[in-house]
Order: sequence, then structure tokens, then C-alpha cells
Amino acid sequence: MKHVFLAVGLSLFALASGHAETPASLKVEATGAPELALRGKDARQQLLVTAKLSGGELRDFTHKVEYKAAPAGIVSVDENGLVSAVADGAAVVTATSDGVTGSLPVKVEGAGQNRPINFANQIVPIFTKSGCNSGGCHGKASGQNGFKLSLLGFEPGEDYEHLVKEARGRRVFPAAPENSLLLLKGIAAVPHGGGKRLDPKSDDYRLLVRWIGQGLPYGDETDPKVAKIEVLPKQRTMPLKGDQQLVVLAHYTDGSTEDVTRSALYEPNDKSMASAEEDGRVTLFDQPGDVAVMVRYQGRVAVFRATVPLGATVTDLPTPRNYIDEQVFAKLKEMGMPPSDGCDDATFLRRVSIDIAGHLPTLEETRRFLADSAPDKRDKLIDALLDSPEYADYFANKWSALLRNKRVKPTDAPGNFAFHYWIRDSIRANKPFDQFAREILSANGDIQDDPPVAWYRQVKEPQQELEDTAQLFLGMRLQCAQCHHHPFEKWSQNDYYSFSAFFSQVGRRGTDTIYHRRGVATAINKKTKLPVKPAALGSGPMDIAPSDDPRVVLADWMSRKENPFFARTLVNRYWKHFFNRGIVEPEDDMRETNPPSNPDLLDALARHFADSGYDVKTLIRDITRSRTYQLSAIPNHYNQADRQNFSRYYSKRLAAEVLFDSVNEVMRTPSSFGGMPAGTLAISLPDNSFNAGSYFLTVFGRPESSSACECERTQEASLAQALHLLNAKDIQEKLASDSGAAAKIAADPRSDEDKLRELYLTAFSREPDADEIALAKRHIEKPRKGPDGQPLDPVKARRQGYEDILWAILNTKEFLFNH
Amino acid sequence: MLTIQGNPSGRFCDGLSRRDFLKIGGLVMGGLSLPQILRAEALSGVRKSPKAIIMIYMAGAPPHQDIFDLKMDAPLEYRGPYRPISTNVPGIQISEHMPHCARIMDKLTPIRSMYGSLTGDHDSFICYTGRTAKGATKPPGDWPSIGSTISKLLPPGAKEIPSFIGLAPNAHHPPYGSPGLPGFLGPAYSAFRPNGAGMADLTLNGITSDRLADRRSLLASFDRLRRDLDNTGVMEGLDAFNQEAFGVLTSSRLMEALDLSKEDPKVRERYGKGFTANYGDGAPRNNEHFLIARRLVEAGARCVTMNFGRWDFHERNHSELLTHLPLFDQGFSALVEDLHRLGLDKDVAVVAWGEFGRTPLINKAAGRDHWPRVGCGVVAGGGFKTGQVIGATDRLGGEPTERPVHFGEVFATLYHWLGIDLNAVTLPDLSGRPQYLVDGWSPMKELI
Repeated sequence: MKHVFLAVGLSLFALASGHAETPASLKVEATGAPELALRGKDARQQLLVTAKLSGGELRDFTHKVEYKAAPAGIVSVDENGLVSAVADGAAVVTATSDGVTGSLPVKVEGAGQNRPINFANQIVPIFTKSGCNSGGCHGKASGQNGFKLSLLGFEPGEDYEHLVKEARGRRVFPAAPENSLLLLKGIAAVPHGGGKRLDPKSDDYRLLVRWIGQGLPYGDETDPKVAKIEVLPKQRTMPLKGDQQLVVLAHYTDGSTEDVTRSALYEPNDKSMASAEEDGRVTLFDQPGDVAVMVRYQGRVAVFRATVPLGATVTDLPTPRNYIDEQVFAKLKEMGMPPSDGCDDATFLRRVSIDIAGHLPTLEETRRFLADSAPDKRDKLIDALLDSPEYADYFANKWSALLRNKRVKPTDAPGNFAFHYWIRDSIRANKPFDQFAREILSANGDIQDDPPVAWYRQVKEPQQELEDTAQLFLGMRLQCAQCHHHPFEKWSQNDYYSFSAFFSQVGRRGTDTIYHRRGVATAINKKTKLPVKPAALGSGPMDIAPSDDPRVVLADWMSRKENPFFARTLVNRYWKHFFNRGIVEPEDDMRETNPPSNPDLLDALARHFADSGYDVKTLIRDITRSRTYQLSAIPNHYNQADRQNFSRYYSKRLAAEVLFDSVNEVMRTPSSFGGMPAGTLAISLPDNSFNAGSYFLTVFGRPESSSACECERTQEASLAQALHLLNAKDIQEKLASDSGAAAKIAADPRSDEDKLRELYLTAFSREPDADEIALAKRHIEKPRKGPDGQPLDPVKARRQGYEDILWAILNTKEFLFNH
Repeated sequence: MLTIQGNPSGRFCDGLSRRDFLKIGGLVMGGLSLPQILRAEALSGVRKSPKAIIMIYMAGAPPHQDIFDLKMDAPLEYRGPYRPISTNVPGIQISEHMPHCARIMDKLTPIRSMYGSLTGDHDSFICYTGRTAKGATKPPGDWPSIGSTISKLLPPGAKEIPSFIGLAPNAHHPPYGSPGLPGFLGPAYSAFRPNGAGMADLTLNGITSDRLADRRSLLASFDRLRRDLDNTGVMEGLDAFNQEAFGVLTSSRLMEALDLSKEDPKVRERYGKGFTANYGDGAPRNNEHFLIARRLVEAGARCVTMNFGRWDFHERNHSELLTHLPLFDQGFSALVEDLHRLGLDKDVAVVAWGEFGRTPLINKAAGRDHWPRVGCGVVAGGGFKTGQVIGATDRLGGEPTERPVHFGEVFATLYHWLGIDLNAVTLPDLSGRPQYLVDGWSPMKELI
């Protein structure tokens, strides 16, 4: 056994280091074309050198080779692979490493001429890259110290006005460009609140000087604009701690391309996995998984995906039970990450009871399940849980919070109850999800007749309605696009307002009645002040008849099979519920620049969900029956660091309501909430107003429903939580009470061992092992002193012992976490 | 998103790299837990600054023209019966009922032209966040207070001492009892309240400390779940906080800081006692809070807030004020002097203010009503430029005429002083949108 470990360990080591790799061949490229064409005096291009190793793997060698250009004098190449034009002609650039070479022919034209500078294409990106037009400085709505630029350069025309014409042109000085206020401030030669943003030796500075000296040309209307950007490579499988140089090409409307590697902005979507430099170099840390680097330039985005396999040999994968397993295991094989073993029955029982029904399994259920020998008992358990009323309660609790079902005034209470019942009934009846969404969106009439009207009580404006709809049902955070082009996505302000037009005909009467107002659905784009027709995201504008409710049209669009967002969002949301991490993370931030960690899995889930008629219970069944869900949380030698490949179950702390109910369950105390029937469980509460009355719920992060974001429910630890569990008065009182669990258990005439077994089965759904029993017994039997220093009588002492044990159980991670 | 500053000195310097600046907003939701923050700070090599802030909310809006900004050129029905006295800074005069502060005016900076409140509704919100409670659009979850922001962004000053401590007890009018709320940062960044809802959890309930120690070791042997199950850091965070909690429950730096019997009786006398009971529906006039605040920042707290009294005198303003001013004068001046005495004056900034000022014209009940147009505040410590007055109001004390100061500017000054880059650091709200700490305000050059 030992040598197996050694062998695996060594091979892992060899894979992980990357230094000793010698290329079998080198490929030098830049734009993908067989020859690199450089035009103009400033023309530059970052090279990309890819080595193919003897095993066929690709590695980035851009910074590991020696560059030469021959004949001399045509181009120059620096050690980072940046090629600059020197004089007209043709040359060949060669890259050498360890005796292996690759080369790329280069042709230079027009090296003597400066291309006319286009403000939007060449000057504005300098402001973006240097941070001048960020939201913290000149890019914010009010500008900074009297100088305003558009955020991230989205409006070059305005920027030109402000820079050149405002304040009588004091910011630029064409007669002596280096003395322009813009540059003096930029290099901090005069006091500048933003500090030094430009280096006077840099190319950016020189370009600005030239532009000012040229008389501040704006460029022609007919000049080409950036149509899209492309990043090379698009995807690469990289070793741990590897690095990769990226090349970013801007494609213009006239077909030309330009290297904008040093002007683009880079941002990894998981900063614990990778970092990206300004010059386009991506460096990985030592976590396996998938990471995407978002590349931004002039309002366009592109994405580079790195897959970082662990590299271990994956030989025994469990037999896939369904399509979920197929996709997950395929990915694990690709990643070289062996999954953990399957979990045992006790673990599964507790885990799935909490995940589906938000409560611990009872003693009875536990005993029955553990004793059952039927081979399909797990499937039967899943079915039983899905049929239980607690399932409906638990998920109604979740959706109620997201749908902002809350009481703001006391008169809101009836509507709040009605909406909660409606949600719960829908879940209980397993209403198809598209119908659920449709009924919410197109709520009509009085709140008592159509409870989803309560949603409209909280989201009062078309803006809020569209933002919540997009976040909840389409997995997108459109909020940013209200005021400017979305910085990370392709949605424009026009898209935003066109989407809001679907909600333009919502009429209100009082607070509790919604109706469809006859009229043509339209909205005003606040930027252009022009009216826009309703347009679903990614589709064209629609004409909707005045008598048709545009919300229904929207609901129709959402539930169509081809809709790329609806099904994916829901399955991702539920995936996150069970696995504590979405396939896209965060679950309501789906965009091209935040790709799924397993695209095939997400597609498969979405397809099955849509095909099933948006049947939520089937989805849950598929998820919980899969081997993937039933993997143990215990890491093996390899997958400790896994956070996105689902090679093991990811443990999570119990939600506030579930924890509350579980504590009561173990202590055998009933819960009570003002205004609700006695014994109401926390997961059954209709809204968040009960937070005010329960410190426990607040301190453990129960959401206040101020947003449509699941993130409002925090899992973060805090001192107040620790103090509460360790020392809360009401918990202490329940522990010490004569009618509490500790007293009852202590008075129970059975043996300590039997009683401890029961306690463990209740709290942990498993039997204690011999050590645990011995430890507990020791604690129960040890002599104690009373507060007066005299030895306590044994009955009292034993009871105190049980109080301590109960207290300790409530504070263990095994209790607090679902694992 | 959390940005770890590469250079916290806060000067306009060449050292600030572009990369530090370019971390514009972020996409990863979920804050870092305590151990992760400490590790992250260690990685970026940030030198730990012991700087701290004490903020005093004068609940209910104090009458500015009777405290720091006497209007002797106005008719009697505006200026009221108080007379000014000279201070130890020539040219600055304040109310005759603030003799202690007058004696140490060289260590104070009154601001006579505070503005920002929109509606004149009572709320500690603007004093603790720099933003109005109503009116402007709010991010989902609402704005976080300065204490919550600091406890999220900066490492704690010491182990076992929570970064953000709020001494205000609950008040009948809830905003008067608020220590500053965490807003969209979530309950993990709430103030630690020795006098509030969590107070009951602070002292051992129903068991002796021996028994707690016994339970603690029992828990250690019970709690065998493997920590490597967790890859989110939450377990580690809970463990860390558990340790801290045990420290709090047994005797610890926190309990000692809160225990005034450990302080020199002469010092206690200098601060005075005041009253522990709330004044009406407001906060207590508890001078001991000033002393506790000092002890807490000494022990390592980063932000201590306290609420003082209830200055909302719609009737009999000038006689009622005498129940507050002398106590406030004594306690506040004792705090400032003490900080100087202990050499903490450069590392601890003190701000005292109310949400707005009061009407220049005394009303029929001999009181003053709400006046959101202008108010006053006072800043001390922090190594700021003191011994000066910032801003001025008109003859009647109604409008700011010189250097109006918005609440946000003081916040900008404080964050900047703590080494946080206002132009770069953002915190994501509940919709994922990166929010800057202040709304475009710059640090005040008059102070720094």
C-alpha cells in the first residue's frame, strides 16, 4: 500500500512542477494568421509561444524563450515577446528554448507614418486602463473635482467634450503638450488627488502627447470602431501554479485587428485560484478546478478559461446512476480528481432530511432507516421526504424570502399569510415551475383572490420588477445596466429599458390590487430619452396589443424550451441548495464572463428539467438519487481543495431556521412565535418579521428579505453566534429546566449507554462509538461539587452531567453542520 | 469585494500601483471570515495600524448655537441667555457651560457648519454612516455603519476584542439606541453590544466559570468532526470565534476593559459618573461610557460608538440643556485629555455630533425645534489639526456661510486616515453592485 502512495505521490509531484518540461515543438503565433502584419509607426504585437510537450500537453512558453528577429532593423522584440515595428520590410521572429525553435514571419508596412489617432479607439482606453474613469473617481456620476469622464469609457463623445471643450479648454495645451493639465496631473507633477496614474516614459504618455500635439483630433465618424475583442488562447488546460500569457485582439468594423493586450482589463472570476497582471499574464495558484479570466476593452468582453486538473489517475469511478453522474464523473476524469467514497446510511439520512425537508430525522425514522435492509431504501426515503409537509414548508420559506414576502405594516399581515400559503400550496402540489413563475409575474386582482399580488407590493416600480425577475428567474443581475452599459456583460441600457417595458402596464389600486392597464407597452430609455418597445433579453422588440398583458407575453417567453436562461437558472439554484455551490457561482450572476464550472452538466440538467415540464420534484429526485450527491464529505488524498467539481459533498452550516428547530428538537422544547400557533416550526414562518422577536434567528443570518438575492442569508461566522450558542440564557434555562430534556433523560431509568445511544441518534442520526460512550459516561459519573463546595448528591450530579453533554452536543460542528 | 491595500499610508504617493487601483468592484459574493482576513493581510504585508475611532452620537440633535456656535450678534430671541467664554485658543469662544472644553480647545476642532440631514427626522443613521436615512436610493440591505465597515475591511486591533463595539443600550425610540447597523454587510458585522441584545450572552448564565471550563474541555473531546470537511473556512471561523467567545466569558481583555473597578479612582472622578438610566426615550447621559470607550480602544477595539443623552429640547431648551451640557463637557473633555495623557491622541480619532442643529428662533415654549439646514460637531485626536474652528454660520446661526461640511466628508477623512483608499475600495451590496464607502466626498484638508 505504501509504495502505491509513493508512486502516486511522485507522479503528482512531477506533474505539479512544470519547470523540468522540455518542449518537443514550439509554435509562435500572434493573431492566428500565418504571417503577422504590422502597420504604422506605433504598431506592436504581443506574441504567444506555445510549447507542445512530449506527452502532447500544451504549455505557455512566451516568457521562457529567447527571441531573435532577423534581418535586424525591421522589427524589435523584447524578452516578453512584444514585437515593435522599426522599419518597412519583412523579417522572421524566432523563439528558442532548449534547442527547439519556432518562428513567425513578420511584415511591416508604413513604419514611417503615424496613423491618425482616433480618440475613442486609442485615447479613451488609456483612461480606462489607468483607472481615471473608474466609478471611484472621474467616472462616477458627479465626476471628481469638477472633471467628469464616462464610466469605463462608454461614452467617448462626452469624454471628448469634457476633456477638450469644457472650462475653456484649460485641460489641454496643444502648443506645448507636456504642459497640459491632463498630463501634469496624470504624472502627478502637480498635486493630483488620484496620485500618479501615468508613467512619463510609457507609450501611453507618448501617445497622449502626440494626440494633443496633433491638435486633439477626434477622428472621423467613418473611422472603424471596435466590433469585438478576441482573446488567445480561448481555453487551455494548465498545470497547478502554471502561467499563461494572453493576447487580446480588437477587431474593428473595417476588418482590421489590433493588439490591445496591454490596454485591456483582466479579472479572474475566482481570485483564490488565479491572478492576472496588467500585461495579460495569468498566474495560477495551487487549487485545481476551472477559472475564467474576464477580459474587457472598450465595452466589449471576452473570456479565457483555464482548466486546472489535479492530474491524479482516476481509475475507479462509481457506476453512474443518471445523467448527473455521467457529467460529473466525466469532468472528474478530465480533471484527474478521484472522488471520495460514498457516504454511509446515517450520514445520508441526516443529510437528505435536512436538505429536502429542513429538519433532523426523528428518532423513529432514524431507527427504522438504519435497520431497513431494502436495497432501494434511500430512494424511498427521498420520495417520503418529498411528500412530507416539511418539504413544502422549507422550500416555501426559501421562495418566500426571495419573493420579498414580508410585512412592512401590520395591515400587510393577511396578504403576507395568503402569499405564503399560496407558495406553500404550489410547492406541495408540485406545480410546474414555469406555471409558478407565470402566476407570480402575471398576478392580477385583489391580493386575497390572487396572492402573488403580494410580490408587487414590495417591488413597486417597473425597474424593480424587472431586476427581481431577471435575478430570480433568469439568473442575471441587470441592476448595473440601468445607468450605463453593464460593465461585465453585453446588456446595454437599451436592453434594460426594453425589458422594463414589459412591466409598464401594471396598474395599482390601493396597495393590494394589481391590474393590467390597457395601453401599448412601452418604456423610455433614460439615456436617449427615446421610447423603446418591450424586448426580451436577446430577442428583438415586440409589438404587444394594448389589450394583452405584456407580463403574460414575458412569462411565455421565459417558459419556451429555447429560452436559454430560465431552466438553467432554476436548476443552478437548486443545485446550489443541495451542493452549497452553484455550477455557476454566484447563482444569480450568469454571464459569459462567469462561465459554469461544468457546462455539460448544467446543460443536461436544464434540458431534463425543461423536458419534464419543469417538474421540480423530479429535479430534486434526480439530484438526490445521484451518486454525486451521495458522496461522502470526507476528502481523500487528493480532493481536499476541490470547490467546484463536486468530487465530494461540500459541508455547510445549518440555516438559521433549521438550526433553531433542530436545537428545539434535541432539547425537546417546543418553539413558539407571537401570532402563530404553538409549536410552529421556524421553517414554517411566513415572513421575516419574526426576526425581530428572535435574537437566535437574526444572529444566525435569517434574511430580512431586502433583496432578491439568496446571498442575503449569510453563513458567515461571528462572535455573537458563538456566544449565543455557548451561553444564551434561554438555552441555559432549557438545559437546566426540570421539565427539560436533560432532566428527563437523567431521570429515565434505563442504562446510560441506552440513553446516550438515543441522544446520538437524535442529534447526529448515528450510533455513538465505544470511545464516545466511555467519554460521556465518565463525565456523567464523575463526582461534582455544589456551589457551596460540598459534594453534590449523585442524582443531581448525574443530571448536571447530562446537561453538560447536551450543551456540548449542541456546540459540536457535527451538529451545526450538514455534512 | 475586499481589496487589500498594498500601501495604507494614505499619502498621495508614487507607491500606489495601478494594480491596487484596478480592483474595481468584484463578483465573488461572501465576505472573508476572520482567519482569512488575517491571512490575507499577512500575505500583502500590510503593517497593522492600531488606529481606532470613538464616535459619540448626541442623540436627538443638540442646539448648535448654545454649545459651540454662540450668536452674540443676533437678537435675544435667537441667541438665548447663554454667554460665551474664551477658550485657550484666542479667537474661539464657546458656551459658558463648557468650561472644560474651553480649557482644552487647542485639542479640539469644532465644526460649525455640518449639514446633510434631509428631513429633520431623528436618526442616528446619518451620524453613523454619513448618508441619509431616507430620501436617496438605498442599496438592497441598506448602508453599513462606519463600525461595520471597519470591522470588515481592517484586521482586528487585538485578539479577543471585537473590532466594533457599541455601548448604547436599547432606547425607547429605536434610532436613539442604535450603535450603528451593519446594513448589507450582514449580521456578522454588527456591533458587539455589552448593553444590548447580546448582553445576556456576555456573562455566564446559570453556571459557574469552573463548570464552563469543564464544559469547554468536554466540548473539545466531543467535537471530533474533521475540519478538513470544510473548504469554505466557515468551520475555521466558528472555531476562532468560539475561542474568542470563551475568552469573553471567562475573564479576558474585553471584560477587563469593561470593568471600571480596574481604573484609577482619580481618573474615574475626572470623567464623572453621569446616569445609567436612559433620558426619556433617548440614550443615557452616562459619563462612564467615555471612560469605557477609552479603555476599549486601548485594549484594541477599532471602533467604539456611544450615544449620549437626548438633546431634543423642544421646550425649555436652555434650562433642560443644563442637565446635559455640564455632564457632556466633563466626560468629553476628560476623554480627549486622557487620550493625550496616554499618548493615544494620534492613534484614536474622536467625533461627537448630532443629526442636525436646532432652530435659530426660540419657540413659544422656550425651546428650539429641528433645523436640518445646519448643525455642529466636534473632532479631536487622530493627529488632526486641532485648535481651530471649521466653518461658520450666518448672524442668526441658520445657514452655513463658510465651508459647509457634509457628514460624508468627515467619514471620508476618517476612512482615509485609517489608510483605506476611498477611490479603490468597494464593498458589494446584496445585488452584487460594488459600493464605495462614501458618496464622492474627499478627506478634509483642514483636518489632515
